[in-house]
Amino acid sequence: MNIVLKQVYPSFLDKELISHSQIWTKEVCFSASENIQIVAPSGSGKTSLIHFLYGLRNDYEGNIFFDKKNIKDFSPEDWAYYRQEKISIMFQDLRLFPQLNGAENIEIKRALQPFHNAGEMILMAKDLGIQNKLQQKTETCSYGEKQRIATVRALQQPFDFLFLDEPFSHLDEMNRQKSMQLLQEEANRRKAGLILADLKPIEFFKPHRTLYL
Amino acid sequence: MNRSISYQTIATLIDTGGKKRSKFTSYLGLCLGVLLLLVAVQMFININQLIKDKNPRKNGFDYISITKNITNQNMGQDNRFTPADVAELKKQPFITDAAPLISNQFRVKASAGNIIPFSTDLFLEAIQNDFIDTLPPNFSWHQGQVMVPIIFSADYLEMYNVFAPAQDLPQMSAATISTVNINLECYAPYGFQTFKGNIVAISDRINSVLVPESFLTWANKHYGNAENVPAARVFIKTTDANSSELLNFLQEKDYRINKDKTKFGRVKQILQAIVTGLGSFAILVIILAMLLFSFYLQLMIARSKDNLQLLITLGYSPGWLSKTVSYKWIPVYGIIIGVALLVAQIAQFFFRHSFISAQDSLSPWLHGAVAGLALFLFVLCIVINYRLIKKLLYKL
Repeated sequence: MNIVLKQVYPSFLDKELISHSQIWTKEVCFSASENIQIVAPSGSGKTSLIHFLYGLRNDYEGNIFFDKKNIKDFSPEDWAYYRQEKISIMFQDLRLFPQLNGAENIEIKRALQPFHNAGEMILMAKDLGIQNKLQQKTETCSYGEKQRIATVRALQQPFDFLFLDEPFSHLDEMNRQKSMQLLQEEANRRKAGLILADLKPIEFFKPHRTLYL
Repeated sequence: MNRSISYQTIATLIDTGGKKRSKFTSYLGLCLGVLLLLVAVQMFININQLIKDKNPRKNGFDYISITKNITNQNMGQDNRFTPADVAELKKQPFITDAAPLISNQFRVKASAGNIIPFSTDLFLEAIQNDFIDTLPPNFSWHQGQVMVPIIFSADYLEMYNVFAPAQDLPQMSAATISTVNINLECYAPYGFQTFKGNIVAISDRINSVLVPESFLTWANKHYGNAENVPAARVFIKTTDANSSELLNFLQEKDYRINKDKTKFGRVKQILQAIVTGLGSFAILVIILAMLLFSFYLQLMIARSKDNLQLLITLGYSPGWLSKTVSYKWIPVYGIIIGVALLVAQIAQFFFRHSFISAQDSLSPWLHGAVAGLALFLFVLCIVINYRLIKKLLYKL
């Protein structure tokens, strides 16, 4: 799978703000197995770009193509297929079910299109040091713990691209390193690409390209 | 999508609580509505069954004699059927055929010779052969033939047998009456001619003394100097003597009919109107119950909106969610409609039991159409439920 952005820019951003961008209003192509780092300060539309790519918003000009198919023409069922099989995401605001515990939050994603068995899922949680949070309601977890639960959740399905929106904002350096390592390993297993958007370059991430938004 | 995934996976995320009272009220309403509708349809079938059995039919048709209503106002006029009247009758969709009964336009006198010393003025009538229930092959006449075959009404034979003993006349069976030689004296202004009458059959359907149409047409012209005589009576052939269209038409035209043949028709009309009213009310109750339930569903989706939205964001298909959430109510609808069906069955059993006269003609079981209707309602509830949830989810 590859993703092509043609002259895409958010209709709500100032023209001045997008004039120096390497993505907005340009033609950009992302290939699976390619790691892309997108760096931009707050307010320049990182989260909007991730949401455009994931089909949550379509208030943009230009066109985005998944394998030559314009995503503006996708039906809700098409999006369901892509979100199960081709693209995964880690939201900046995490979007966990607060009333469910960590394991249930991960399981609800894993049940949809399992890439790993339940045992592997627990091992991942252990790797990230949240195994004792699996039975705890996520509303009582710290933001850093929630971020790691969201990381494990995003890795439960097959994908060609994993979109990461400021994934380590509340993690210490050691946990950043562990999380990044796990994400990279999992992407490699799938021969998939990571598209990571953050305020500044992540030191443990080895992108093929870095684009400034 | 993983096939083993089920409602259980997402059950905790759907808030099915909330207005329990409106949910159970809608269940109860639906159950009552379905029950009423099933009972109404079964009663409609029962009434048809009971009333059909009261009418002896030949080849699936009813034959009814009609006359024009003679009142004080119109008694001076000619109240016979013109060819246009007969043609109009034939045109009606609920009348298969109509045939006038031609009567004699000359004087006829019958006597039975020396064995039965009996003599009377008589009337003769003729009708096209396919209206006669007991038509023997020898019921025909051609010019020059002295023997005239007669079809005699069973009612007249019964009447004869009632007054015969008092007149010192022998009583007759249907078989023996055919052996009696009848002299038919047909009078013209210039004199009379005698024919030999022979009763060749007894008719249950037509209360008359029938002779072949060819004879009466010839005799009317020959003795009475009358051609194309209007008929006082017309026989109609219909698939249902109790059909409301037929009864309404006859009433509108002010035609008199044999009330015995159609009296159940009026009863049927009234009963069917009541049952149809009950059925319509039942449909209204069902619609209201489903409406109430749809409010409950809308509330449920609204309360679970955030969770459902997140499920869709995570990759759950709205189609799968609609199916899975709506299928949750299949057992509920199954129980509701099953209970209604069971109660309707019990009602049918008691209805049949309480009408002794109905026991032969009514089945103790519900008609197949009622079971079919229950199944249809079951499927309808699920489909409406599914479509509503799908619509709400696609809006998220």
